[in-house]
Amino acid sequence: MSEGGAVNTVPVTPKARAQRGYLSQAVREAFVDWGTRLGALWIGVLIFIAVFAPFLANSHPLLLSEAGQVRSPLLEYLSAADVTLLVAFFSALALLWVPGTVRSKLLAWLAILALGGLLSWLLISPPKLSIYEQYRERQASGQYDWVITAPIPYSAKDYLRDYGAAGLEAPLASEERRHWLGTDENGADVLSRMIHATRIALGIGLVATGIAMLIGTIIGGLMGYFSGVVDMIGMRLVEIFEAIPVLFLLLTFVAFFGRNLYIMMVIIGITSWTGYARYVRAEFLKLRQQEFVQAAVACGLPLHSILFRHMLPNGMAPVLVAVSFSVASAILAEATLSFLGLGLVDDPSWGQMLNQAVQAATFNWWMAAFPGGAIFLTVFAYNLIGESMRDAIDPYLKKSSR
Amino acid sequence: MLLQIDNLSTQLRTGDEDVAAVDGISFHIERGETFCLVGESGSGKSVSALSVIQLLPKDITTHPSGRILFDYRHPDGSREQVDMLSLPEERKRQIRGSRIAMIFQEPMTSLNPVFTIGEQIIEAVQLHDPQLSYPAARTKAIAALEQVMIANAAERIDEYPHRLSGGQRQRVMIAMAMACEPDLLIADEPTTALDVTVQAEILRLMKELQARRGTSILFITHDFGVVAQMAHRVGVMRQGKIVESGRLADVLHNPQHAYTRQLLAALPENLKRQREAALAGQAQPPAPAEAESMVDLRGLQVYFPIKKGVLQRTVDYVKAVDGIDLQIPKGQILALVGESGCGKSTLGRAILRLTEPTAGQIQFAGRNITHLPRTRLRALRRQMQIVFQDPMSSLNPRLTVAATLTEPMKVHGIGASKEERLALAAQVLESVQLKADHLWRYPHEFSGGQRQRIGIARALALNPSFIICDEITSALDVSVQAEVLQLLLALRREHDLTLLFITHNISVVEYLSDEVAVMYAGKIVERGPTAQVCARPSHPYTQKLLAAVPRVPL
Repeated sequence: MSEGGAVNTVPVTPKARAQRGYLSQAVREAFVDWGTRLGALWIGVLIFIAVFAPFLANSHPLLLSEAGQVRSPLLEYLSAADVTLLVAFFSALALLWVPGTVRSKLLAWLAILALGGLLSWLLISPPKLSIYEQYRERQASGQYDWVITAPIPYSAKDYLRDYGAAGLEAPLASEERRHWLGTDENGADVLSRMIHATRIALGIGLVATGIAMLIGTIIGGLMGYFSGVVDMIGMRLVEIFEAIPVLFLLLTFVAFFGRNLYIMMVIIGITSWTGYARYVRAEFLKLRQQEFVQAAVACGLPLHSILFRHMLPNGMAPVLVAVSFSVASAILAEATLSFLGLGLVDDPSWGQMLNQAVQAATFNWWMAAFPGGAIFLTVFAYNLIGESMRDAIDPYLKKSSR
Repeated sequence: MLLQIDNLSTQLRTGDEDVAAVDGISFHIERGETFCLVGESGSGKSVSALSVIQLLPKDITTHPSGRILFDYRHPDGSREQVDMLSLPEERKRQIRGSRIAMIFQEPMTSLNPVFTIGEQIIEAVQLHDPQLSYPAARTKAIAALEQVMIANAAERIDEYPHRLSGGQRQRVMIAMAMACEPDLLIADEPTTALDVTVQAEILRLMKELQARRGTSILFITHDFGVVAQMAHRVGVMRQGKIVESGRLADVLHNPQHAYTRQLLAALPENLKRQREAALAGQAQPPAPAEAESMVDLRGLQVYFPIKKGVLQRTVDYVKAVDGIDLQIPKGQILALVGESGCGKSTLGRAILRLTEPTAGQIQFAGRNITHLPRTRLRALRRQMQIVFQDPMSSLNPRLTVAATLTEPMKVHGIGASKEERLALAAQVLESVQLKADHLWRYPHEFSGGQRQRIGIARALALNPSFIICDEITSALDVSVQAEVLQLLLALRREHDLTLLFITHNISVVEYLSDEVAVMYAGKIVERGPTAQVCARPSHPYTQKLLAAVPRVPL
């Protein structure tokens, strides 16, 4: 096996090979696959869109000159969340260029994120009321010298009241206002709503999965390492949580606490950790008998080192595969809720747009095709990445495919 | 002549390049003869065997040169010499099983667990003789099982493989291979996974069947003891080439090639003779006086409960270690010998309290550690270390050697700074004959023997006084084993170590240990100075065990 492996690998200097861990090796192998690259590309595009959503689709002009004074309503109306996302994005880009270990970079990024988030929530308070029509009216009446708008000059919640009840206009139907993907029943631009909805889609996937992974890894790890009574109690807990229908629980919570995105993320998270717990438990049960773990115990290493340094990194591979599938299913869960009309009221979400498509009296293909296509592509992209990660970490699959 | 191989090469495609696994070998096998291919792991012996029966995956295998001439016996009795390499697939399949049969190394995985052994044998029989009715095939299968000494064959034919022991499964494999009365039997390390006593029975059985049927055997092994028992002629393989072949006695007693001599010299039996020769001129070291004991076990028991039912009530116990009294004197090497499943590894782990003992007392350096709380035990772990059997799984694949070696040092407060600990780790690596710059590598970059040395280095890093070596050489090739054993003896002299050497290999025991304890079914049946126990075993089990060991006549 080891001989075969040595022959397989492209000649690399021992130094470079030593620096490359098991996980980066697996990621490297996964990305040889074209499907994975396309999937990752799509996720990358979504991240870009989510971060720059206000700059891509906004009724507030980017720059305008009014009576000789230049100002930027777009920047004035940026919310704290927008700024935090921008800080996170640019600090991540900057840290990619700075040399350093992955761990120190991650810590630095989290610190910047926390600080930036805190400052922006404290300092930034955009005007509460936004009147989207004013710009168009003033521009029409010639009050502005010149105006630079965002590529899509409509906000997600701009219902175009100045045009009267337009509502449900097919893509590119009217000459004067250009709606690339049409408008929804309230008259809002579909493309703009879809752009702003990427934040919810990505956010709910990542946060819900993060919560699930954290809980699942801890409970599963404890079950696997201690086995015995801990294992028995843990498994009963897993069974109880698996017996709860997530959708039903979400409906109950929505009924009690109203429509709150964060509660949704948390609920999807705390009901979907069982899969991770099972994976990690199985891995830990196996690893506990491994001789290097026994050797670590025999060396008198403390428990946290045995659990987190010697066992966890060796047992994470199946969890990381499950992550990409579970992000996909969290996105679907949110879409389902919104589709059922239990999602957010006014905020855009792909599922909620699908719901509109169904509820309208006539079938409006653009309301179904574009958000549906976005959900499909995103879930598909995550699944593609998950599949090839699984293949990359599974030595048996690899052998048979060669 | 049944089989003649001329200049056979086999290339296996891995990644983008072809690797010559077999590189121009030639040999022949006469009817009724056993030809042994012997060599270390990776020398191409199994690939040679699989080339003969044409079982290598076709899409990655090429044969750039060579012929495999097989004397094919048609069902009507006429003979024809065929070249296995140029036959159509249909003909190859007729030959496989009916004329050339094969047994594999691992009896646990070579039978299909969802069929009864009867179904598997009958299927093979009927495939090669479609006219045979089911009752007739069944009778034939029962006869085949009886031939391989399965008691109550008529009843056991309906058993599933999991109900049979390893030795019985290997017999079923032999019965299956022999059921169609092949002319050539290829046995690829058929006894490597078995205990010595079972191995002795299987080898005797194969010889008997060969004598009765006149079957030729191509026997693949790495064990010169087995070669000495089975072979008429031997081929020594190294890196895809046969470096030497000839009659058994010639190869063993008058090896021509340097590699054969090196292999033979690495046998523990020969190591011992060399050492005795070296020591002959000097005065014998004084016999160790009645030293105080490092480890003192009193009535140690490790029981694993068997739980059944909804309430998980304990219905019975597996008595892995069943009341053991054992003293390991300071500065001595005590070998613990026994067959698989006798509880020797469990005993080793129980001494270090990696497995909790059920009852009894463990005294370490005069201190009772049986019920010591984990936190206090942790400090004591510095004194006692363990080296494991499998070099592949005993090192954390995600940590560099440096991390593996320095983390325990840090926990136990050895070395003041990271630099100092790294310097110490480098020293330890050098003491196990590795280089200091190996510190920055990951385990997968080392060979099996090197990893085993890193395992020893990890144990030594804490400067312990007592080390348990749990089958540390059984996964290693014989020449690597020799190096590790010599290293261990040198380290013991330097560091004044007490060793508990757990093994199933009697020749290693004879070479290495001062005293030996023989374990059987959770109990120690015999204990004494190595030379005495090996020469005049008193317990019947020890006698049986020693008789079963395949020896190389030297």
